[in-house]
Amino acid sequence: MTSLINVLRTGISRYWGVILVLGIWQLWVSVTGVNAIVMPRPLDVLRDLVGNPSVYLHNGGQTLGLAVAGLAAGMALGTLIAAVAWFSRLLSGMLVPLAMIFSSIPVVALIPVIARILGYNLTTVFAIIVIISFFPAFVFTSAGLRALPRGSEDLFHVLGANKMSKFLHLVLPAAVPNWMIALRLAAPSAILSAMVAEFLMGQSGLGYLFRQSAGDFDTERAFGTSVVATMISVISFTLSLQAERRVSARWR
Amino acid sequence: MTLSRERAQDVFYGVLGIVLFLAAWEYIGQNQLAGLTWPPLTTVIAYLTDPDRRPLFLRATSATFSMVGLGYLLGALLGALVAGLAHLVQPMREGLGRLSSVINAVPSIALAPLFIVLLSQEWTGMAIATLNVYFVIFVAAGSGLNAASTAHHDLFTTFGSNRFLRLLQLELPAALPALVSGLKYAVPASFIGAIIGEWFGSSRGLGLLMVSSMQNFQIPLLWSAVVIAAAGSLSAFGLMGLIERFVYGRFR
Repeated sequence: MTSLINVLRTGISRYWGVILVLGIWQLWVSVTGVNAIVMPRPLDVLRDLVGNPSVYLHNGGQTLGLAVAGLAAGMALGTLIAAVAWFSRLLSGMLVPLAMIFSSIPVVALIPVIARILGYNLTTVFAIIVIISFFPAFVFTSAGLRALPRGSEDLFHVLGANKMSKFLHLVLPAAVPNWMIALRLAAPSAILSAMVAEFLMGQSGLGYLFRQSAGDFDTERAFGTSVVATMISVISFTLSLQAERRVSARWR
Repeated sequence: MTLSRERAQDVFYGVLGIVLFLAAWEYIGQNQLAGLTWPPLTTVIAYLTDPDRRPLFLRATSATFSMVGLGYLLGALLGALVAGLAHLVQPMREGLGRLSSVINAVPSIALAPLFIVLLSQEWTGMAIATLNVYFVIFVAAGSGLNAASTAHHDLFTTFGSNRFLRLLQLELPAALPALVSGLKYAVPASFIGAIIGEWFGSSRGLGLLMVSSMQNFQIPLLWSAVVIAAAGSLSAFGLMGLIERFVYGRFR
């Protein structure tokens, strides 16, 4: 009994803001009596979510799968190119300014261009997520490859290590905490860009489901889609944050 | 000002990288390696600088940039205020943080219809930009306000300073570097918000140009709109970078 009260208390102390917003929303819709087509009640949205789990699971699963695969490919590509650039001063001198430029422009705005070039299908959605995850991975990994612990380089020099073994045993491990930061930053934007891409051109997935239900004035379904997307986003952010904390606690 | 040899080499490689990138863009376009939807750089520039289209671009650019600017200011103000509130009123801190991250996790495409109902189609871009900027500034200001060292706090306590004086003379100056970095990273976020907002049926702006030219196969127009948005974000980002450098030199 006391444990239940404790859970409730921590829940309220953490989520009172969210609960307050939902409460005001429900109250506002009830008092002003806006049509449900314009603005559904939170409880109706919840009813649709619980009532039609298969629709949400199917589309949400697809979006999540695409986002995870794209994120993995983008991170791998970014890391690989950062590693190649570490070996060549010329290459890193050429790539780093370009990557900085691309990370300071709104990459999401490139989606219409990429969609026009690659066509309107799932491969394009995947390619967009890869491109968007690539930049943080490249920028943070290259910075991490240079942030070596003080004195460690001298040690490797004294021991007569060659460049390859120095890379494998010193530089690559030193970049791991930065790599985790890149993952935390890229994970939510991978999901966002997957949804935006599906919204603009997909034939399935959460973004498409959202556009379709909004077009049919099925606002409960549309808001339910947002709830699912928000949950996926929060969970992925929390997981990557925890992974980052665990890794940096072990690594530093 | 003299540059060290290494620094000069870096600058040279950087310029080389950017020139090669632009040349590749031109080459792919000229030879249509990526199909008809990849125009050469020169075509895009000619399209952009054509005097006949100046009113079109001016109208779209001023509409989008004013929404970006307004959203940026509002979001920065809101983020700093809420971060200050969370800092001063300890019991509210956890709840405000969770609320902010949940709002940030709601995908923009799901927020857009909500703002269209609450505000209007013209202001949706600004509202999304505000929310995007708000979260970046809230996080940056929050961590900045905690940046003052314990030793400094002890010193203020010894001299019998009150809570308000401590905030004004110790915590705010210590928060500036993190805040300015936050302001820098909020620039692309603000552009993304405004453009995504315009994809939802705004009657003018660069986002509208992007979507309508994507659907109507007006390739040079599509690329021009993207180039303008990218250039705007890049210059604002560069300006904030200069301010950041000054603040870091002065306050850290």
